[in-house]
Amino acid sequence: MDRKCLEEYVLNRIGDNLDTIFFNDCKTIEYLFENCDIVMSDSDRFFAKVNCDGIMRSLIEKRTAFIKNKIKDEGLQEGQNVLAFTGLFDYSHTNAGWDDIVTLGIVGIRDRVKEYFFKEENIEKRDFYAAVLGVYDSAIEFMKRVALTAEKMGKIEMANGIYNLCVKAPETLFEGMQTIEIYYVLQQMFDGTVLRTLGRLDALLAPFYFKNKEIAHQLFISFFEELATFKAVANMPFAIGGTNENGESAFNELSEVILKAYKKSASADIKMHILYRDDMPVEILREAFDSVRKGANSIVFMSDKKVTDALINLGAEKIDAIKYHVVGCYECGAEEELTCSCNARVNLPKALEIALNCGRDMLTGALIGIENDGKFDTFEKLYEEFLRQVEYFCNSAIRITDIYEEQYDKIHCAPIMSATYRSAMEKGGDLYCNYTAKYNNSSLNAVGLATVVDSLIAIKELIYNQKKMTLGEFTQILKNNWEDNEALRLTCKNRFEKYGALSENADNIAKNIVDKLYLFVSGRPNKKGGVYRLGLFSIDWRWYFGRATAASADGRKNRETLSQNTSASFGADKFGATVHLMSAAKLDAVKTPNGHIVDIDLHSSAVEGENGLNALIATLKTYFDMGGFSVHYNVLDTEVLKKAKENPQDYPNLQVRLCGWNVLFNSLTAKEKDEFIERSIK
Amino acid sequence: MEIHDGDGLRTTVFFKGCPLKCIWCHNPESISFERQFAFFKEKCCGCGGCEKFSKEETQLIVQCCPTEAKTFFGEEYDVRQLADLLAVDKPFFENGGGVTLSGGECLAQSDFAVALAKELKENGIGVYIDTCGFVKREVFDRIIPYADKFLYDIKAIDSDAHKTYTGQDNDIILSNLEYLLNRGCDVEIRYPLVMGYNSSECEKIGSFLSDKGFKGKIKVLRYHNFSVSRYEALGMECALPDTITQDSDVDNAVNILKSYNLNAIK
Repeated sequence: MDRKCLEEYVLNRIGDNLDTIFFNDCKTIEYLFENCDIVMSDSDRFFAKVNCDGIMRSLIEKRTAFIKNKIKDEGLQEGQNVLAFTGLFDYSHTNAGWDDIVTLGIVGIRDRVKEYFFKEENIEKRDFYAAVLGVYDSAIEFMKRVALTAEKMGKIEMANGIYNLCVKAPETLFEGMQTIEIYYVLQQMFDGTVLRTLGRLDALLAPFYFKNKEIAHQLFISFFEELATFKAVANMPFAIGGTNENGESAFNELSEVILKAYKKSASADIKMHILYRDDMPVEILREAFDSVRKGANSIVFMSDKKVTDALINLGAEKIDAIKYHVVGCYECGAEEELTCSCNARVNLPKALEIALNCGRDMLTGALIGIENDGKFDTFEKLYEEFLRQVEYFCNSAIRITDIYEEQYDKIHCAPIMSATYRSAMEKGGDLYCNYTAKYNNSSLNAVGLATVVDSLIAIKELIYNQKKMTLGEFTQILKNNWEDNEALRLTCKNRFEKYGALSENADNIAKNIVDKLYLFVSGRPNKKGGVYRLGLFSIDWRWYFGRATAASADGRKNRETLSQNTSASFGADKFGATVHLMSAAKLDAVKTPNGHIVDIDLHSSAVEGENGLNALIATLKTYFDMGGFSVHYNVLDTEVLKKAKENPQDYPNLQVRLCGWNVLFNSLTAKEKDEFIERSIK
Repeated sequence: MEIHDGDGLRTTVFFKGCPLKCIWCHNPESISFERQFAFFKEKCCGCGGCEKFSKEETQLIVQCCPTEAKTFFGEEYDVRQLADLLAVDKPFFENGGGVTLSGGECLAQSDFAVALAKELKENGIGVYIDTCGFVKREVFDRIIPYADKFLYDIKAIDSDAHKTYTGQDNDIILSNLEYLLNRGCDVEIRYPLVMGYNSSECEKIGSFLSDKGFKGKIKVLRYHNFSVSRYEALGMECALPDTITQDSDVDNAVNILKSYNLNAIK
């Protein structure tokens, strides 16, 4: 059936009765399985795509209209409009129960649901299992339909694999990979819940690898190439390494095979998380860094120890913390955690903006925080007021998130995904509608840390130490976007201490802000029986948030971008990468399970040769020894970037790390390209 | 922090002042032993903030400049201060690396260099000495106990050529090198290759080192003229060669040196 008809059918099915979305949606998903078109291209080797991706997600927009009114009624809309604080539901950063999916196969997951159904006596739970079973039965019929299509197209390897997987668990490496891709399609395109990791591939596929060693390298290349064709938003991640349940290194022979194949496939759309341990094979680090400096891949390094500690600190059991997953860019969740990493957000520079401006947004004049008289006779009093506004922002962002999250049963359900979670099966309910994950946490991310730290330092120096003018006069200059005060702006930008540049003052303020955020946010109960987790990433939000933020005391003009993640402001890291990393390591990463990331920009000449490789490894090891959480490297060559800007046609494959993911350089706007060129000049 | 002056991640201290006057010098700020005022025109925002000071009030001018267009080259430290500052990077050195004393000529300020190297060594930080070799023998005697490695420049073997390009004879330099080798010091040779100038010295360098039975690395350094703006900023006349060393030139030199059974690298 063509997509338009499918869409019409699905939208008409919603009806007015929102109380029954779970059963309604299960039926809808079955309908999609039966009626969607299969899209199979000549190059497909493992599985096909379908024409209904995104239809289930499109329902959500319709269903959340009533919630938006509630936010308005509570007076939180203005703050949200100017991106001071925002809140949202999150069904876009999930991990599936990959161990069980690969061990049991799709059909095994179905059979497990059936077992639960037969032994359940509670009527409501039986209804739940029956509905999920219906969905899985349709899924298997759909798989047969794909197999038939494959057969018709002469794809015998694919067809045979799928037929096998309709009746049993995977037995070969090929079928193992096929299972992963099939499940991805089922959850992503039918369930509609965005799947943001393929799991730890080296551990998941090891049992099959030892049976099919000789073809593994080539098979992985094909696998990655096919996964890349899904063009997943912000890349499709997978992980290698980490720790197994006995507490030992989980790196194995396959880890290196996977890394080499990944390197060879050179895709911008697949992202790898390396779960770093002290005792990991150095050969893997060398391969990974060689890949990083060639700029051909998207690799993020995570400190296995720090992630585990952060999750335990948040309340996860140790065994679940060890088996954590990394979803999206660098957000970690424990095993059996329904990870919601992008709920609440607060704009730290905006909190300082309104602290200076009597609680009002400088660009719109709207009252979005707590009113004050704008007079602070000591820096300490101003800082206290800033924190008061930050706390208010956190409370508001959390409130908005709560308003959304108490309504999941009217917004979204995930029957396909729920069947892969042991806790959901045990409790007999949907992950979203019934909060049946073992851990149901929510998140808050604070954006623009370095921008606000550098701004506070500038104000302290200019107003309170040098007494160059009154705070009121300076606030007026910011409100006028530095007009006729260019020299002052440049002084603020260039001449004061900065976070990430050997300043104990700046580092201490940054650390204190994170400690305070932790008190405001971490461990606060949410509406799902879980708690809030703190994160410090700002990905591409720094552009949107920046656009809504007035000039700041660090020399930033109106609407310019905010600092990225826990990194120094662009250009502020003038003492180099090691000093930059040391500042970041001072922020207590145990407090930030939702992500804490430093972006290290290096010029290609700084990492050339054997010594360059050793130096990269040394920075990583040292940073993680010091307590770092995660780090990614951008190796930029000024000349190459300039040429690529002038002659995009000559550089179709040049990638840069946008934030938590890679993009093609050519896909950036002129202004964004300039930012990268600027960053590459060291 | 960088990777080019030795092994692993290294922090380099550039000492100001040099006894040689190489015509291709790409660190013009480290020729004079004095602190120097510099003006980078292209960085100037034209605010006029410095106009209220007289030309001699450089301290005030530098202080008020919003963009660091007007700045100083050269900062004074005492040994303790500098050793503490360098120790900040210590965690990184533990995974390979250390401090390199360079310049200018670090050994031209021998008391300071020896005291600093000693301080660093006692703090467990490895020290490399990057030197032109034009230094009294007794200075080497004093620094050897604290130096893990010498990065030793050889610019020419022919004495006249050396004099033409650097302003000094190379007798002392070559005999100091021999001395270090006899003492069993770890030495890596640096050969800055400037086409049309000392490029013809390559064979002679190869033959000289091979006669001495040299077993260490010889690194061929590319000459570039990125320092033109610094010559201008310092108000110094810039007569840098315009023959930029190409990749192929470096490869050729490496091959020539290798033909003498030397461990040449680029």
